[in-house]
Amino acid sequence: MNSSKQFFKMFTAQIKMMCREKQVWFWNIFFPVILMVLFMIIFGGGSGDSFKAKIAVADPQPNTTSGMLLEQLRQIPVFEFKEELPVSKEQGTEWVEKQDIDALIVLPASEDAATMQLIVNKEDEKGAAAQAISGILDKFIQQANLAAVGATPTFSMTMDSVSSGADDLSYEDFLLTGMIGLSVAQGGLFGMVDLVEMRRRGLMKRLRMTPAKMGLYGLAGMLVRLMLGIIQIVILSLIGVFGFGASLHVNVFSLVIAFFAGGLVFNAMGYLFSSFSKTIEAYMGMANIASMLMMFLSGVFFPLETLPEWLQPVTQILPLTYFVDGMRDGLIYASGVSSVSFWIGMGIMLLWGVVSFLVGSQVYKAKSIASAR
Amino acid sequence: MPVLEVLHLKKSFGGVTAVEDISFSVEAGEVFTIIGPNGAGKTTTLEMIEGLQSPDAGQIQFGSLSWSKNSEQIKVTIGVQPQSGALFDLLTVEENLDLFATFYPKSRPAAEVLEMISLTDQRNKQVKKLSGGQRQRLAIGLAMINDPTLIFLDEPTTGLDPQARRNIWDIILKLKELGKTTILTTHYMEEAEKLSDRVCIVDQGKVVTLDTPAALIDRLTKEREVRLSMLDGEAAAIETEKVALLHPAVVRTNREGSSLQLWTTQPEDTLYELFGFTKDRGFRVEQISIREMSLEDVFIAFTGKEWRD
Repeated sequence: MNSSKQFFKMFTAQIKMMCREKQVWFWNIFFPVILMVLFMIIFGGGSGDSFKAKIAVADPQPNTTSGMLLEQLRQIPVFEFKEELPVSKEQGTEWVEKQDIDALIVLPASEDAATMQLIVNKEDEKGAAAQAISGILDKFIQQANLAAVGATPTFSMTMDSVSSGADDLSYEDFLLTGMIGLSVAQGGLFGMVDLVEMRRRGLMKRLRMTPAKMGLYGLAGMLVRLMLGIIQIVILSLIGVFGFGASLHVNVFSLVIAFFAGGLVFNAMGYLFSSFSKTIEAYMGMANIASMLMMFLSGVFFPLETLPEWLQPVTQILPLTYFVDGMRDGLIYASGVSSVSFWIGMGIMLLWGVVSFLVGSQVYKAKSIASAR
Repeated sequence: MPVLEVLHLKKSFGGVTAVEDISFSVEAGEVFTIIGPNGAGKTTTLEMIEGLQSPDAGQIQFGSLSWSKNSEQIKVTIGVQPQSGALFDLLTVEENLDLFATFYPKSRPAAEVLEMISLTDQRNKQVKKLSGGQRQRLAIGLAMINDPTLIFLDEPTTGLDPQARRNIWDIILKLKELGKTTILTTHYMEEAEKLSDRVCIVDQGKVVTLDTPAALIDRLTKEREVRLSMLDGEAAAIETEKVALLHPAVVRTNREGSSLQLWTTQPEDTLYELFGFTKDRGFRVEQISIREMSLEDVFIAFTGKEWRD
């Protein structure tokens, strides 16, 4: 029987096995979808309703200054007043304690003593809301001071965010592409569990007693996993685009290159893990550690810049960083093949892949179960 | 010319010698059984013959073929059912056969194999849903999908119920009818005795003895154990024992209450005389049995180890 027929049979057999294994569908399709949906709901939040802080104002001794300040405070859009009118300081403090409001602002008691007091709950002191309110209030007081001496500010700042290709890049796009990268990577990292299982059950030995070409079998398995990767990309993209309004700008060439590079690298890493593992548990442990580490250090869920400085070098050596970047290049920035950093990333990934594969096959050989002759 | 010839095989793992010196040859068309206690080196020997391990020393010849020069040809002419079964659980019976068939340049039609292993009705069942006996039959089926001339069956009946075991015996006998050569290992003496043309007993990495089951049993002492149980109490048994001891063929006796055990080299002659005596005296014999020597006795005699299954 010729090689192509053998390959075709091996391929269809492995497709059938994949389709019949419920675990495969759970971990490769269902789980990433759930994870992505959760992250989108929690952190996406829609760009429409931005930050809001619930506050109350106390005006112990109303005077012209306090009246003016109150009028100005009402203009700040992010402040949501629990009560339109000032409340007593005691009442406001109680609300803060009960966490009914994020902060209580106490207006100056006289026209001269222009000190505003901000009262926040101790528990929330370091929280984002308290920090933001204090920042806003600080700015507000600066403005008030400038106005009081009749000066106009010399320096001002405006802020805009930019992205290289598409200017409508949102967290949804970012997360969607990160999740796609992560799922494809995990498909490879965990997929090689088959090898461990086959070895444990004597199937490896069994196949070696036949003239079957083991290389073809491995290749067929790889192709099956790449197909699963394509299914992952399609399903996650559909949910991201239609469920959460992510917008994709696809560069097919970059996408295909990054996808194949990723497929090879993470399969090779899975192969390396399988060479070390006598049991499925051992393999799963290794794959989990690798996947967890990379999940949080490769900019899947949040941009790398949010990580502390000292962690940055670590992120720069992980293959998932470049794979996720590559996926983003291919799916949302519509760039990639033209940029040098894309190719450097692919190069680093390939290095991981080649090293993993070579070490893996050496370990298999050294263990000599594979090297009967 | 033998289909398989094994000469002075030797294999050790680290400091432990698994196989010290094993030689035998297997003739075409025979069922050749290797038995031995656990750790005797059976599996290592088989794996070396099957090409999974390379021997430290010694030769393995399949006719004119050897692993070092003709591994592809050997793989085509042998079929192996490993102890672990080693099946694709998520594929159906027929899909397993089809997949294995593509590994070989020529193969036997799946339908024919299904018929031989009596799994035609289960052909579309996934392997994980099969019973132990059915799985084992499929493993044997996979071993013959390439229509091999030499088939290795490594403990094909271990853990099966008597009916399932008998089904597998039928398959082995069918293979023999087809002129195939089978190399079998087993834990069951009855099986070895029933199926084998020749039995090779291995212990501590060496061949202890090798012959047909009948010849092996014959080679044991000619003594047979005879048991008599008397209906007329201890006194009758004591008197019968005295008479028995007078017979020249009786080696020794043993008596417990009214039942008597005696070892004799001529059981028929001894019994003839004893019955003459009991008839004269009017003693009634309640039970009588002559224990046949079996392969199990051979095993114990050669290895000094109890057989357990």
